[in-house]
Amino acid sequence: MKTKNSRRLENLFALRSKVSASIVGKLYHSIPISGQIISLGIVALIFSVGTNGQFLHISNIMTVLGLSAIPMILCLAVHQVIILGAMDLSLEGIVAITAVSAGLLLKNSVTANDVGLWIIPIVMLIGGLAGLVNGLLNTKLRMPSFISTLGMSWTLFGVAIMISKGSSIPLRDLRFQKVIISEFLGIPTVFILAILLGLVLYIMQNKTKLGKHMYAIGGNEILAKQAGVKVDRIKISIFGLTGMIYGLAGLLLVARLNSSAARYGNNLLFPAMTAVAVGGVSLSGGVGGALNAVIGTIIVVALNNGLVLMQINPYMQSAVNGIVLISAVALTIDRNKIGIIK
Amino acid sequence: MEKKKIIEFKGIRKVFPGVVALKGFDLAIYEKEILGLVGENGAGKSTLMKIMTGNYQPDGGQFLLRGKPIVLGGSMEAIEHGIGMVFQEGSILPNLTVTENLFLCHEKEFSKGWFISESAMVAEARRALEENGLDINPTTLCGNLSPAQRQMVEITRLLWLSRLYRHENPVLILDEPTTVLLEKEIKTLFEILNRIKEYATVVLISHRLEEIIENSDRIVVLKDGDYVTEMLREKADIFKIEQLMVGRDMVEGYYRRNEQIDPTDSVVLEVKDLAIESILEPISFTLHKGEILALVGLIGSGKEELVKCLGGSMQATHGSIYRNGKKISIKQPKHAIAHAIGYIPIDRRVEGLATDLDIADNINMLVYKNLKVRGFIDKKKERDNATHWMGVVKVKATSHRMKCGNLSGGNQQKVVLGKWLSADAEILIVDHPTRGIDVGAKDEIYHHIRQLAKQGKSMIIMCDTLEEDIGLCNRMLILKDGKKVNEVSCPPDAKPAPTDIIESIV
Repeated sequence: MKTKNSRRLENLFALRSKVSASIVGKLYHSIPISGQIISLGIVALIFSVGTNGQFLHISNIMTVLGLSAIPMILCLAVHQVIILGAMDLSLEGIVAITAVSAGLLLKNSVTANDVGLWIIPIVMLIGGLAGLVNGLLNTKLRMPSFISTLGMSWTLFGVAIMISKGSSIPLRDLRFQKVIISEFLGIPTVFILAILLGLVLYIMQNKTKLGKHMYAIGGNEILAKQAGVKVDRIKISIFGLTGMIYGLAGLLLVARLNSSAARYGNNLLFPAMTAVAVGGVSLSGGVGGALNAVIGTIIVVALNNGLVLMQINPYMQSAVNGIVLISAVALTIDRNKIGIIK
Repeated sequence: MEKKKIIEFKGIRKVFPGVVALKGFDLAIYEKEILGLVGENGAGKSTLMKIMTGNYQPDGGQFLLRGKPIVLGGSMEAIEHGIGMVFQEGSILPNLTVTENLFLCHEKEFSKGWFISESAMVAEARRALEENGLDINPTTLCGNLSPAQRQMVEITRLLWLSRLYRHENPVLILDEPTTVLLEKEIKTLFEILNRIKEYATVVLISHRLEEIIENSDRIVVLKDGDYVTEMLREKADIFKIEQLMVGRDMVEGYYRRNEQIDPTDSVVLEVKDLAIESILEPISFTLHKGEILALVGLIGSGKEELVKCLGGSMQATHGSIYRNGKKISIKQPKHAIAHAIGYIPIDRRVEGLATDLDIADNINMLVYKNLKVRGFIDKKKERDNATHWMGVVKVKATSHRMKCGNLSGGNQQKVVLGKWLSADAEILIVDHPTRGIDVGAKDEIYHHIRQLAKQGKSMIIMCDTLEEDIGLCNRMLILKDGKKVNEVSCPPDAKPAPTDIIESIV
């Protein structure tokens, strides 16, 4: 006797195999982010018509790539935790604390410090430690990561405000800004940096044991544990790694503006999350990767750039972003895995 | 030729609070055989499996593997010793490919330094799948596989692992492997198992006796935690096994049979041609005032779905329900409540009881509108109603404000009962009333069921064991594969024998 479900599944399989049998279908399925590439194409088409081709001009494309670099790094960071099926809202807090630390430790006009290039390992260490705490709260204290990381974000933001005494710290070390605004073969260096990071994470996700186990945890933590995956250890390391990348992004923000303040972290979480969802990383975990994060960020930044070029009302732009986030999640979330939606 | 023993149990014993799961018996499992393990729910099959996979430790007796006593700390350790289990619910990750699932946690076999060689992994996966005669693409996502294929992937994983740990004759345990499979897939599964038998031992647990008899070399019957007998396939006889599974003759007076009353003639509920597409074929029956009607059938017979339709948590696609002669529609649980139909679910901790709330909150849950004074809920009325019904169903608790989560299983069941009685339910659907309740409390629940019948409440019951169904009910409906196959009357002085009933169930 066939049950209703099995019949429904068979129909689904039949439909799927029909689609995949066509050549277009084959091509579509052979590229993991083909859906997102089509979305980007649609965005580009609409805006190039809307701006009389200005949107697709090479200088604007480079602007979009340059603007997408730091959001991309942040998206690459946070999507790792989301693959695990967990959540990380500590982004803004960790960026704030690392930005302020960088401001106070580099040559600046408030303190006498000058650590020079040592700042790179230092911000990664600070971010990594904060991420480690996130991981420990989640695995050892068994707290929902959604709430513990939110708490971490506010805690670290508060600390950042305190140590910076609430004001901006101008920098006197111009080397970092030079790197940020420089170009390599006409491409913004900072974008190349973001792509390199994406590449490293892509290799990690696809070619190492750590990567395979990340996806296993995201698929089903209990089954993964049964199979022998060291769930806690991997979760803690991924939270830590994510924190390290936040730290790096904090330093880049400071370098770009050549000054530092706790509020530099503000309003960075939303675009990163939108990029994760738009890129097709499932918020229920286990699906999507670095490629998705990269293309997701480019779509989100291109969208905002297009809206600005078309001189759309800024409040309208905010609403558009919200709708984009909700639609992206509606399309990618796996409702079977979540028993009760909270 | 004498076969070598791979696993041997000597006086194996396992005790849980309130129940002896395994009573201390001997059992041997041989190399290169398919062993069928049969018994009713609670006969001890699962406990025995869990000891083999290291999830339980025996409380007494010896567990010998390849002739040596062994202690296993968990399923991973069991696998390292060449014992693997395919679980009913499966343990394949749907978001990973077949290859990734096969070698999860053993990627280092394919690593050069830090990096995994994907191509080596896929090649080995292809080889392992082919070795077991499977035509599955190793790069497919497991979420796109059929349940049968997933099971095959799991079996391949276990066999591959035992090879990795260099075990000549791995032991593969399959728990109800055929429940999720289609007819054709079941055939393939057994073909594959018969091939695997050339180099492995397979232990099968299944409710489907024909299947077990047809495919096992040897069948072992367990009953109430004890070994009853074993027989070879050639000598197996389904009727005899059924008899052995059910076992003891019925004890007089058990199930409070002496308190059973004859129902009145008035029909309180009538079901006409109720059907659920592809699950339940049209079924009609009546329920009288004061009657206890048992629904009997295996999982998949459609009885669960039938009562869900009456309780409002599922909707029938055809047919109608009449309450006291009037046609009613039950689309949601609240409609059932409005027609005084109460549903006492199988898993009271999840569906029947708010365990974080106290006894009073649970008992009053459906009747708050009667406890109001000037529009607000009155504390005194709340307490009075709760304590009244606690007294009626004899809940043992220090106060009506005790948290339900802290009560014993029997007392929790009584609270659920109290809730429905307080809501004036006329018809109670009782899904496994005595599941997980110890013997003393069971008898009290039987007593309550009898009392309720005496007061004119009607009940539809589904019990843990067939004997319980027979013992409690006035009449039983037997369902098989979504069809009503028989209706048997069970008066207190002429209860049918379980063996007669089992014939129409299986």
